[in-house]
Order: sequence, then structure tokens, then C-alpha cells
Amino acid sequence: MPITFKNVEHTYNNGTPFEYVALKNISLQIPEGKVTAIIGETGSGKTTLVQHLNALLLPTQGELEILDKKIIATEKPTDLKALRKQVGLVFQFPEYQLFEETIAKDIAFGPKNFGASEEEALTIVKEIMPVVGLDESYMEKSPFDLSGGQKRRVAIAGILAMNPNVLVLDEPTAGLDPQGAKDMMDLFVRTNKEFHKTVLIVTHDMEHVLNYCDEVIVVKNGEIKKQCQVQEFFESLELLEELRINPPAIIRLREELIKVGFHIDSSILSIDELAKTVAKEVKHHE
Amino acid sequence: MDKISVENLTFSYDKEKNAVEDVSFSIAEGSYTTIVGHNGSGKSTIAKLLIGLLDKDQGHIYIDNQELDYDSVYDIRDKVGIVFQNPDNQFIGATVADDIAFGLENHQIKSEKMQSIIEKFANKVGMIKYLDSEPTKLSGGQKQRVAIAGVLAMTPEIIIFDESTSMLDPQGKADINELIQEIHKESNITIISITHDIEEVSKSDYVIVMDRGHVVMRGKPDEILLKEKELVKLQLDIPFALKFTNALKKENIDIKSCTTLERVVEEVCQLRLKM
Repeated sequence: MPITFKNVEHTYNNGTPFEYVALKNISLQIPEGKVTAIIGETGSGKTTLVQHLNALLLPTQGELEILDKKIIATEKPTDLKALRKQVGLVFQFPEYQLFEETIAKDIAFGPKNFGASEEEALTIVKEIMPVVGLDESYMEKSPFDLSGGQKRRVAIAGILAMNPNVLVLDEPTAGLDPQGAKDMMDLFVRTNKEFHKTVLIVTHDMEHVLNYCDEVIVVKNGEIKKQCQVQEFFESLELLEELRINPPAIIRLREELIKVGFHIDSSILSIDELAKTVAKEVKHHE
Repeated sequence: MDKISVENLTFSYDKEKNAVEDVSFSIAEGSYTTIVGHNGSGKSTIAKLLIGLLDKDQGHIYIDNQELDYDSVYDIRDKVGIVFQNPDNQFIGATVADDIAFGLENHQIKSEKMQSIIEKFANKVGMIKYLDSEPTKLSGGQKQRVAIAGVLAMTPEIIIFDESTSMLDPQGKADINELIQEIHKESNITIISITHDIEEVSKSDYVIVMDRGHVVMRGKPDEILLKEKELVKLQLDIPFALKFTNALKKENIDIKSCTTLERVVEEVCQLRLKM
């Protein structure tokens, strides 16, 4: 079952002088079992959009269907707990939400909330920690003694521990160093490939979209501007320009080289392929 | 002239492990310095030591040849502005205008003067349309622009950006980086930027690389960014341009290693002419 939005609108502070329409008439299908990037300028509505996925925000108009749960703006939703178990949402800077005395307790908090026994929770914790790259020696340590990147792993482990079918991550690599960001993206792709989770990532990093994602959803001024495959997205430069998106370095270089007269196919998206093409042309001049 | 001089600086949070150990460097007046290093390498600790938010264990910090200590810390803070990573932790006003005004009020700027100062800097960071907006209505990136405006309004002599662009969208990031460049060109403000953004590093005057509390490399970006093995060992990004010139070398093309895309295009064009 894919995730479907039908004419969804979300207005903050409805009926007050601070009223603000963050999402306008959104209709959309998010495919299952893929890694989908959600991109758009700051303030475009990305976060508002993803917070609907586990009913943290409810639509002020329209309806959505998430897995087998229907949420309709005009009806009071019931039994959201089951939905929230199935859709794990990781906020921006999730490390600020750590609160327990030990890392093991923090990760176990979610499963226990959903009814796991002490023992079951412990088993889950032991399973999940290596997935996020933390060994058992960390179990009894305080999460507050960790570095920023490690704290974030603990926070994400806490969500994975609930074994959600859909994993939604709001700017998960913001503020991490390049290696930390890469490890994090590898982790999400692994949860997708090995554990078959549907993964949605809100991101500003076009290198990540290019290298790790299958599909792209572009949000602009509270509306869906475009939804397509990653390959297609990076072939049409006009759209990138219109969206004021700085393309990944590989594409900027490709376009600069085309400008100075190299013959390069615009479907080239890898550094080795680009190098081969350029090398061929340089040698050809010999 | 050295605006900032740091000698044998050591600091520990827990008195067991030093977060910063025996660090020395100097920063020229009006220069634009980037500090890079993986998470936990001590970059932000240095920033906090420089404005006296943390108190050093050993060593010396001089700003304009005045030692930073208990007596001088308030004078020195008047000269140094800092913009942190997470804007939510530094937004205090009820509206954008109030937030920018906060520092000005602390400095008893007359209210008739304040409005024009607020507008000038709100305009500079592209937030003039939001002067009456509440912080809850702003996204993280917009709040960050407000924080930058608030610091600029204080006309500091030194501004430290502690990963201030890491939460902005690409356009916002480019705008802020451009703004930093502009401040750097137009004023004599000394800029220190803690960053992971290799492109920003390539545009700075000077780079300091940190690892586990130590300064491990420093120099001009062109020199540092070509030290591929060291950068990889330190878990830092290497410039895309360098990856590409490496890939060309693998194709038996004799090309100089480059750190910026502009240089790559120049080099490749020259090769094509030569052949």
C-alpha cells in the first residue's frame, strides 16, 4: 500500500491573525520500498508535509491514506498509535530529544511504550545498536557523553527499535561532518535494501539525492512542484535553475565543460564516466 | 597585524580528556579563516573559548594584543560576535525585529536610531519582509538569517560562524556564504568560520584543520585541500575537483591536481589545445 495524499491542505493557527497556509491542495503518491528525497527551499512546507505521515499534524482539509490507515480532515482520527508504530519519524536534530540515563534505556523507550517487555526491549536494543554502528560497550553509557554524530545514531536507533515500515527522516545529516553524513546515508540505504523499509528523507544535499535516492519530490510554496526519478530530475537543468537548486558538483562540471565545447551526454552522472569522456576527447585532439 | 593570537591553549570539559590541547595559531586582522575537522575535534570548543563562554585551563588568548581574562572578557565580547549552529537556541525576540533589536537594546542604542539599523540588517540577510513575524512561523534557515542580522547589527570587529550555514537550504547557504564574502570584502571584520563545506574553505584566506583537540594542519586552502591522504585520514571531504583530476589521471591524462571546478575547466581546456 503506497502513501496517498488527496487534496491535503494544512493551515497553521487557523482562524487567528497568525493564520498561515503551509500546504495547499497536495495530491501525491509515495511509492513503497523506495528511498524518496523530499526537497525544496527553507519554508517551502517539507517538514509540514512529512509530519502528516504519522499524524503528528492532521490535515485541515483533504484526506490521506498511509499504509492502511485513512485520515480525513473532517473526521476525528482514531487509533493513531498503530500508525505511529508503523511510521517512524526522526525530527531535525533528534539528539536534542535524548533523555534517558543510559543509551540502552533511551533506545528501549519506544518499544516499551508500544508494549514490549523489559526483556524483549533489551533484545531489540542489542539487535539495533550494531545496525547504527554502536557496539554493546555503549549500552550502559550516558547518551549525553557522546559526540553529536553518535547521539544522533542513538536517536535514530530509538526509532528503528520500533521496527517501523516507513522511516521518515527530516534533514538527518544536517550538521554532521562529511564522514558522519556518509555513514548515516549508508545506514538509510541499508534499512531500505536489507530490511525493505520505505525511506523518506527531507534533505538539502543534492549530492545525497543523486547518490542515494530513487525518487524526488520537490515542494515549493506549499505545493508539489515535481515528482520523478532521480536520473530524470538531474537531466533537466531548466527545472533545477527554476527551483534555484545548485546542482551536484558533477553536473556543474559537466555543464561547464559542455559550455567550453566538450561533447558530453547529459545523462552522465558519474565521475568516472565523465572523466572517460573528457579523456577521450582530449586524446582525440592528439 | 594579528587580530587574534592563541598560544598553547588547553581546555578540558571533564578534567580527564582534553577537548583542546596545546593549540596555537594566529589570525590576521580582516582575514577570513575557516576551521575544519570532524565532529568532536574541538572546533566549537575553540569558538567558545575565544569569546570567553568557556574558561581555558592553560595557555593564552589575545585579541588586539589584550589578553582575554576575567577582567577583559566583557570588553572583548563587545568586539566579537558569534552565530551558532542551531538558530532555535539563540532566538529570543517575540518577532524578527525584536530579535535583531535585542543586542542593540543591551547597548542602549536610542530607539529612533534602532529602526533604521534593524531594517538595514534585516534587508541584508533577506528578512525585511518578515520583521513582524514570530519565530515559530519561521523555518530554521530563516531564523538563522535573523541571528546573523542580530550579530551584524552590533558592528563587531570579529564574527565567528559556528557551522551557521549547516541548516540552510542550498540557496540560503549560498546567500549566506555570499554575505560572508561581502562582509569580508566591504569591511575590515575578521571572520572565523567553522565549517564542513569544502567549497567555503576554498574561498577563505586561511584554513586551520583540527583533529582530536589538536591543530594538525594550517595554511592556504590551495595547499591544504590538495593533501588528499591527510584529509581522508582525518575523515574530511576532499574537493570534487580533486576527485575529478584524479579520475582523469587514471585515464592517463597528465593534468595538474585542482581544488576548484573553475581550475579544472581551465586545465582541461589547455590540455585540449596542447594536444
